[in-house]
Formats: sequence, structure tokens, C-alpha cells
Amino acid sequence: MATILEYYPSVAASDHRVCAGDQCDRILSDFRYDRRDDDGRACQRYANDCLVRVSERICQLPDGLRLRDVGRALLVSHRDFTGPDARAPIRRIRPQIAMNTSETASNPWGHRIGLAVLIILAIVSLLPIWIAVKTAFTDTGAIYTSASALLPKDATLFNFQRVLGLANPADPRLAKSGLGKIDFLRALLNSLIFTTMVVVPQIFFSAMAAFAFARLKFPGRNLIFFLFITATMIPGAVLFIPNFILMKELGWLNTFQGMAAPYALMTPFSIFFLRQMFLGTPAELEEAAHIDGAGILTIFFKIMLPLHTGSLATLTILTSIAMWNEFFWPFLIGRDPAVQVMAVAINSFRTQSAAGTPDWTGLMACTVLGIIPVALLLIFFGRKVVESIQFSGGK
Amino acid sequence: MQIIRKIFFVTMVASTVSAHAATEISYWLWDTNQLPAYKACAAEFQKQNPDITVKITQTAWSDYWTGISTGFVSGSAPDVFTDHLARYPEFALNEQLVDLAPLIKQDKVDTGIYVGELFKLWSKEGKQYGLPKDWDTIAIFYNKDMMKAAGVDPATLANLDWNPKDGGSYQQLIAKLSIDAAGKDGTSAGFDPKKVKQYGLVMPGNPDAYGQSEWSHFAVSNGFKFNDGLWASKFYYDDPKLAETFKWIVDAGKKGFIIPAKDCNENNAPGLFAAGKGATILHGSWMINWYKENCKFEVGIAPLAKGPDGRKSMFNGLADSIWMGSKHKPEAWKWVKFLGSPEAQKIVASYAVVFPAVRQDVDTAKEAFAKKGMDVSPFVEEGTDPKVTFLFPVTDHASDVVRIMQAAIDRIMLSGADPTSTLKSANQEVNALFQ
Repeated sequence: MATILEYYPSVAASDHRVCAGDQCDRILSDFRYDRRDDDGRACQRYANDCLVRVSERICQLPDGLRLRDVGRALLVSHRDFTGPDARAPIRRIRPQIAMNTSETASNPWGHRIGLAVLIILAIVSLLPIWIAVKTAFTDTGAIYTSASALLPKDATLFNFQRVLGLANPADPRLAKSGLGKIDFLRALLNSLIFTTMVVVPQIFFSAMAAFAFARLKFPGRNLIFFLFITATMIPGAVLFIPNFILMKELGWLNTFQGMAAPYALMTPFSIFFLRQMFLGTPAELEEAAHIDGAGILTIFFKIMLPLHTGSLATLTILTSIAMWNEFFWPFLIGRDPAVQVMAVAINSFRTQSAAGTPDWTGLMACTVLGIIPVALLLIFFGRKVVESIQFSGGK
Repeated sequence: MQIIRKIFFVTMVASTVSAHAATEISYWLWDTNQLPAYKACAAEFQKQNPDITVKITQTAWSDYWTGISTGFVSGSAPDVFTDHLARYPEFALNEQLVDLAPLIKQDKVDTGIYVGELFKLWSKEGKQYGLPKDWDTIAIFYNKDMMKAAGVDPATLANLDWNPKDGGSYQQLIAKLSIDAAGKDGTSAGFDPKKVKQYGLVMPGNPDAYGQSEWSHFAVSNGFKFNDGLWASKFYYDDPKLAETFKWIVDAGKKGFIIPAKDCNENNAPGLFAAGKGATILHGSWMINWYKENCKFEVGIAPLAKGPDGRKSMFNGLADSIWMGSKHKPEAWKWVKFLGSPEAQKIVASYAVVFPAVRQDVDTAKEAFAKKGMDVSPFVEEGTDPKVTFLFPVTDHASDVVRIMQAAIDRIMLSGADPTSTLKSANQEVNALFQ
């Protein structure tokens, strides 16, 4: 709704800031040539200053229409507005419409070259993943003669079966030399446990810390934040040995709590991200709640968190993806097959076939299984992730 | 309180009673292919010793040694584990291995039953750190179809000769087997070394400090020797005969007979051979089953070429060691003694994965391989001929030697550095370690 509204000069006249969810649309300053950009007011140029096609069926509405009348007017927009106020359907967002209508028309080759480059880049990015998937489906005996083929030779599901431990132990194909042994189902389960153990507390505590840094005033707040920033500048690799020694002293080697410990409370990125979100919320909401008698905890749980479910969801997704793929710390701490996470299991599987050459088809089957959850997450929530990062970046 | 005390007392008694019932010793190995064989050995051992159970754990190679070292430090190392010649000197120096010599004397174990000098490989200054369990040698694996296509009679492969100057009949062979994109082989005039589609020889990996499969047999057959014997403190990497050998390898590569060194490492070299990129590959007897099962074509085995000093192959062997911190040393010794005995090694040999260290069981292995359709006589002949085998150079500071020599050899093979000067400076560094 909001995106449609912004294209109407009539709405510009109303001096109203139109928001839907976290996205606020502004009216282009070009529509009102005598005004300058003013933060928070209706005349600000749209942050994503791009040309957008508007459907031909959306007609421009006559000037002077008040906001509350727009809905009604849109409902009957299929009618031709043939009166003196009617204008041609808008195709572009900028008033330089007459000049830019044929931007594509005047430069079709630029458009096509851009498309070609994008297609090439897409192929280059997706080809390795396709090769991995193809190898996972190839029969182990055929891999060396068909390594560069684009389609699997002797396609089979057996690699997935044996890697997940679902193959019949008496199957003669399992006795082949060069095959590795792994209990990958266990590794996937461990990854799931590890990810949950990290993400849930991390988001919770990071949100609380971000709220404290953003909204609460307590003595030493700036000093603590400064120390926090300084500490995050230390490269992660430097911390591995002290953390390892600590885990060893605690007796947490080869345990889930040992693997989750450095990440479970917070990550610098989470706190920064959420702090930005909280800072961007107008303080009036909290002040209003405060006046009504809400304490800090109520404000946090009942106002701030519900307001930012979008960013919390984004952060959850990003952290889940990062923790699902996490390798080095679990590699140091969790070597035992009972607590191995997916990435560590794949690394161990790489050298599992004693002959020296990795068991390629099994390895690719494990990799594909490891990619699937992240791919699903991105397919279903990908747009949200991209939009939220875009928005926070644009700020 | 009284009840708790009673329960406590009963549990204590019960646990001590059960402790006498069965001791469990842990055993580690890394080879998945040998797991069934050792499980069978454990079953046989438990039949003979009902009060000892053996728990076998197989760990991937990349995790194995870190697991062992961390185990030493944290106190959770296995009681017995498969040990390797390159690693045990450090463990022995750090007093992590049990000296088996007094136990051998006490139980009057016959140590003359092992092939060649395998037993000596595992001893240092009168102390014994393992009983040998298997050995391996190097030979040529070749693609029978490509041999036939090139018109080479496999019978001639047993008598190849090599020298660092012109490569001898060995170079003729790999030249004939190298074919460029236009179909010309390496012996014809218009052969293009830059557009080779089938190489005569695939190196089985990145040559390292010991070059077990890659260069040691060439160099030693040329008259080179690593050092003056086991535990020596002086290496001879600056020997001009070694530089000559490397020069020949690099030149043959430039001529297009050997796959470029940058394209080859131990992960993909067997795969390249199986994919038909090379006609022959020099590799060890541990790979026999892999080549048999993963190559779509028939694979033949031929002995190494004879150099100026005759045919030479590095002789390597694994053994089982007992951890010094083991809480069940008598039981661990019983298991190690069993594994070093002809009985256990006969079981392992019948699985046709490795060659057993006990001489009398070697034929069992040979027959087991033959049943699978592989004629492994070149390996066996090399292994049982004392004139052919030379020992793996066991020394202290092995990891540093490997590090220094790896850098030097990489420079020679990959960056085209001059072999003579590079090896000379590397050798100085290596010898400085022992001072």
C-alpha cells in the first residue's frame, strides 16, 4: 500500500510521512521543488533512489485528495479518469518521467550486457554447488572417469544412505576399499543441538545488553562500552588458546557446553546490531510507557522486543547460519564423535579413507546434507534477511 | 546414614569384583580397511583370554595423532595403539612408550620370525618400542590397457633399468606411454610437452623429506643414502647423487613424461591415475586394494626399475606400542604379544589388506591377494630381498627434518630452484638440529 502511495503527487501535498512496518516511504523532493530535504519530514528523497516500474493499471489520482480518501479512490481506480484532473498513468517514480520513460528503450544493450554479466556471475557462483550435488549422486566407482561431467553418472542415492548410516551393513558395496565410515546423522543432530544452545541464549542476552547500552543510563556505561569495543578488536584466533585452557580446567572438553560457551552469552555483532535498532526507535514510546508506570523490564519485554521482532528474526537467522557452519572452535573442543558438529565431522571424514584419497562421493553427500538446512532457511526467509540488512545498512 | 553406608560398601565390593571379572583395554588404529581384520583378532584373543576385552577405536588419520598427543597430556590415551616410524621417536623421547625389551626377555618371545630388519626399526639403544605387525614396499602400478595400446610387452617391465643421466629404459617406457593431444608419443620428434593428454608417470603425491613413494628408490639406487643408519645424527641430503636424481625428475617433467608437480598431491594423485590421466604410478603396497576396486581398467603391478646400484625400495613397517600411562599394562602386553605372533598375523594376512611382518605368514597374504585377482609378487619379492630393501630413516627431530626438507624440495619441484645449492643449505639446517 505504502509503495503505491508514494508515487502520487497528490499524497505529497498532504505532508504526511507514510510508514508500513519498518519501511517508511518518503516523497521525492523533486515533487516540491521549493523544499529541501528535511530528515523526518515528508519531503525526504527515498533512500533507494531507483527507477521502479508501476503497473499500468494504477492510475494517478487527482490532486488535492486527502489520505483517507485515497483508499476509496483506489478502489475505483479501474475507472477512467477522463476529467481535466486526470493524468496519464505513471510509469516512473521521478518527475523526470517524460525524459526517462524510455531509459531502457534508449539503452537496450546496456540492459542486455548487464543481464549477461549477472547470468555469468550466477553460473560461476552456483557451479561449484552443482558439482558438489552431482558428485554426491554419482556412484563411487564412476567418479574418477566422470569428474568433469555436468550430470551424475550412474546416479544413485547410496552415498546418502551410507553416510547417514541407513545402508544395510551386509551390503557388498560397503566393503569397497577407499570408503570412509561416518555417523553423519549424529553429526547433524549435534549441529542442531549446538546451534540451538548458542542462538537462543545469545539473542536473549544480546538484546538485553543492547537495550542497556542504548537506553539505560548507568554509571560507567560509556566506559564499559568503550572496553567492549576494544575487546572486540582482538582477533578471534588470539583467544583460542586461553579459552581452550579454560575449558580444559573446567573439564568441558568434548562437551556441548564447552563448544557453546564462548558464543552463548553474546557476540559483538549481535549487540551492535540490536543496539542500532534500539537507538533508532523513538524514545517517545518508552517515555509514554514510563509515564503510564511501566518499569524497565516491562518496557523491554512488552514494548521493545515486540517492536523489533523483525530485526530479532533477522539476527536469529544470521546467527543460526553462522553457528551451523562454525568449524574451528568445535574442532578444538569437540573431537569426540558423540559431540562432533557437522563441519568437524566432514573434516574428519576427509581423512577417514585410509588409502589417502578422500572418499569423494561420501564427502560430497555430507556437504550437501550440511548445506540443505541453510539453503532452506535462505529460501524461506532470505528476502527478510536481505531487506533488514539493507535497511540497517542504509541507516 | 547406615543404609547409605551399606549401599556404598556393597557398590565398592561389587565394583572390585567386577573389575577382576574383565579388564578392558583400549586399542586405536586409523585404517578402516584393517578394522575387520583386527576385530577378528580381538575375538580370537578374547577366546584365549576370557578376562580381557579389547575395545577397538578407529579414528581418521588427521585426528589420530592429535588425539594420541592430547590423550598423553590429558591422561586419556589408549592402552595400545598403532604406532608409526615417523612419530615414535618423539614419543620415546618424552617417555610415553613402554619399553618392551624386558617383557620380551621375560616371556621369551621369538624375535627372529620377522621379515628383514623390521624388529630393529623399532628399537633404540637396546629398548624396544613395538612388535612389528606389517610392512610395505613400493612398486609400479600400471594401466594394462594403455600398455597394450602402446605396444609394450608387460614381461619387459621386470627388467627396466634407470640412471639419472638419460633415464635408461625406464625413461623410454614412460616416454612411450606419454601421448600428447595430437596422438604423438614421447619418443617421436613432434611431441608437444605442453599439450599432453596422457602422462607416462604420475607421482603419488608431493615429494617430502623421505620420498617413500616418490624419489627415495631412485636416489638410493643411484648410490644416495639418507644417513649412517638408525638414530644417526647426520643426514646426507647434500649428496650430489640426490641432486642428480631430482634433476632427472624435474627434466622428465619438463619433457612432458611426468604429470606437473603442481597438479599432484596425495589427495588427488590416485584419482588422476584412475581417471586415465597417467599410464603408471609409483605407489606402495597399502594401495593395492584401492587401485583394484576404483580403477575401471585392469591394473598390473611391476617391480621398480634397477638403478646403478640395483633395485631399491624403502621398507616401512607399523607396530603397536603401549602407552606408559596405561592402567592395564600386563593385559596390554598380552594383547601386543598376541598381535606380534604368527597366529594373529595369519588372521590379518588372510584379509588381504597388508603384508604381515611374520615371515611365515607372508604367503598367506600373497594367496589372499591372488584370490582377489591381484598378483602381488613384485611387492613380496622386493620385501623379502634384503638387498632391495632399505630402512626408513628413523631419527630424532623428525618433524623438524620434515619441515625443513619439505620447503627445500617444494622449491626444487615447484619453483625450479637449483637442486644442488638448495639441498646443500637445507642439509646444513637439518644437521644443525642434532648439534
